[in-house]
Amino acid sequence: MASPFSINGGACVAMVGKDCVAIACDLRLGLQSMTVSNNFPKIFSYGNVYLGLTGLATDVSTVSDLFRYKVNMYRLREERSISPQTMANLVSTSLYEKRFGPYFVSPVVAGINHTTGKPFICGFDSIGCIDFAKDFIVSGTASDQLFGTCEGLWEPDLEPEDLFETVSQALLNAVDRDALSGWGAHVYIIEKDKVTKRLLKGRQD
Amino acid sequence: MASSLIADPTSSSHNLYSFSPSDQTASDIRQHSFYPYTDNGGSTLGITGNDFAILAGDTRSTSGYSINSRYAPKVYRIGGEDETGEGAHIVLSLVGYAADGTALQERLNTVVKMYKYQHGKRMTVKACAQRLATILYSKRFFPYYVQAILAGLDEDGRGALYSYDPVGSYEREQCRAAGAAASLIMPFLDNQVNFKNQYMPGSGEGHDLHAKQAEPLPRQEVERLVKDAFTSATERHIEVGDGLQMLIVTAKGVEETFYPLKRD
Amino acid sequence: MNHLPQAWGRPRDDIYGHYDPSHLQTAGPNAHTQQPIVTGTSVLAVKFKDGIVIAADNLASYGSLARFTHVHRLRPFNDRALVGFGGDISDMQYLDRLLNSLDVNENYGSPGHVLNAQNLHTYLSKVMYKRRSDMNPLWNSMLVVGLDGDDKPFLSSVDLLGTTFSSPTLATGFGGHLAQPLLRKLADDESQVKDVTREKAVAAVQECMKVLFYRDARSLDSYSIAVITKEGGVELKEDEQLEGQSWAFADTIRGYGTQVN
Repeated sequence: MASPFSINGGACVAMVGKDCVAIACDLRLGLQSMTVSNNFPKIFSYGNVYLGLTGLATDVSTVSDLFRYKVNMYRLREERSISPQTMANLVSTSLYEKRFGPYFVSPVVAGINHTTGKPFICGFDSIGCIDFAKDFIVSGTASDQLFGTCEGLWEPDLEPEDLFETVSQALLNAVDRDALSGWGAHVYIIEKDKVTKRLLKGRQD
Repeated sequence: MASSLIADPTSSSHNLYSFSPSDQTASDIRQHSFYPYTDNGGSTLGITGNDFAILAGDTRSTSGYSINSRYAPKVYRIGGEDETGEGAHIVLSLVGYAADGTALQERLNTVVKMYKYQHGKRMTVKACAQRLATILYSKRFFPYYVQAILAGLDEDGRGALYSYDPVGSYEREQCRAAGAAASLIMPFLDNQVNFKNQYMPGSGEGHDLHAKQAEPLPRQEVERLVKDAFTSATERHIEVGDGLQMLIVTAKGVEETFYPLKRD
Repeated sequence: MNHLPQAWGRPRDDIYGHYDPSHLQTAGPNAHTQQPIVTGTSVLAVKFKDGIVIAADNLASYGSLARFTHVHRLRPFNDRALVGFGGDISDMQYLDRLLNSLDVNENYGSPGHVLNAQNLHTYLSKVMYKRRSDMNPLWNSMLVVGLDGDDKPFLSSVDLLGTTFSSPTLATGFGGHLAQPLLRKLADDESQVKDVTREKAVAAVQECMKVLFYRDARSLDSYSIAVITKEGGVELKEDEQLEGQSWAFADTIRGYGTQVN
């Protein structure tokens, strides 16, 4: 039996730029080696915070819905939208609640903190250990490949357009070397008062 | 007590002896618990240009989480005149199980030397590549546990590079990464050497954009890419680091360079 | 005596329990070494300016039993090469005999020519690789030390898989985890070897033997140490005792026996 993390396949990456962040994912949904959908986005938005989820597809859906509920409840109680840092802690504690029967997902959080104006990204393991990174976060079945491309292409203080090119090339070239990821991509470039979502056409094989 | 040591044929025991005859069949055969392979980590990388070929490898040797040595080369000169490899025109990198690597390197080196002694001319890279495949396949059922990359200059003086799996299937390529960090380096190479996923700006609208065509890169550029690839792999893979050794084949012969990598 | 040879001189099942007959097999696969039996632990070695220091303790363990306490695991080959053995002791003795016959043959065949440490290492690594390829390994990890063809200090290792590597400092077994990090403080790089004196190297190795005795449960405080230089040849001391041990810390730790509970 394959690992639950690699049954459906998928990849996600987030990067920090100059006063901006990027988060991108592929669109494949598979059952082992068979592709069943080429329109399965793995990034979900919660106000101005973005959550990428790779891993077992059923858990991706469940967890994304769970956080929609939790973030909505937060907004109603607090009468303000959630900051990326708070979101990170919410993800962490929620995953740890399931310490001994985890969701098989590797989440990535990206956003700009509207109080400080600073970009923020982080990643998690499936039981909520947070990885605060200053450069980039990768997750999914193409994570090895993404580490290679990101480490090779990323540089500090990229402007939004350059960050878009960097994150797109990093993702596209990584998923082309992973049989379980690919089939197009979604890329979000998040600036302080603007979010640009682009749909990339990748290799269809 | 003493009497019990002596078999009594008249006793009620249905067996004359203390053991049953079936004991002698020795049916439970014990299995080997010896595993003849290990992984010594590290990564290698080869890129060709118009009139040169570069083979590079890090110099770390590991077993598990331990570092055996910070300087254990895995790129070799093939067909040299003495043990220093002087006069070699082919280079070979072997990553995986280091003991098989050394054995295979010695074997191919001998073959290439014997070829020269017997035929009075240097073995071509193409012939050497085919011979290496044969050697690897000859151990199909007890393989050399290595990923090999062979490089040199072809009959037209252009960079030639062949990559292999452990049992000898091979192909000629422009570039190839092998070993522990191959999965990190290879997509970077696709992008920076073969320009994969890159398009010519303004060459068309949307899906009509023309892909950027790959062309051989100049040597300075290739050396820069190799260093970039290895510093990146060192950063993210624990089995890669310590030093970067490069063998560069040109018409003049084989040059060697060394560049320190992080040792953590 | 009876007509069943299998019964001759055989422990009785009704008294000694069922006898495992798998050792009696004559058919089936050949019996090869599956695991080490009597073993020696770490071997350490450091290069210095004009030679090498190598050390190993004098213990041969039988599992967790400290079985033989005067086993010399540093075997000099000639006055310019020495092998330090870790792993199975019987395989060590076999290899020692093999190396002796090699030395004898070499001296008969080509008098005047002596094998150096580098030659010896090449020979040993081929023996080890051949045996692993036959799926019949010699269960050892060895450090080969001495002088190479240019009379320069030589230090290299071989193990049961035929894996070889070289470094300014080396340690086999447990020493790879405990001693190697300490030894690397002396010389982390070949270029630093020229700054290491004989005294510093010997002191570092002795300190590491102490650390190993503290923390390696299969170690002993009596050890062998050898220094090999061009001038002095092999200077081997086989009955050294660890000095300056401090067990003061044990007083404060429960479980070392000073407290009742």
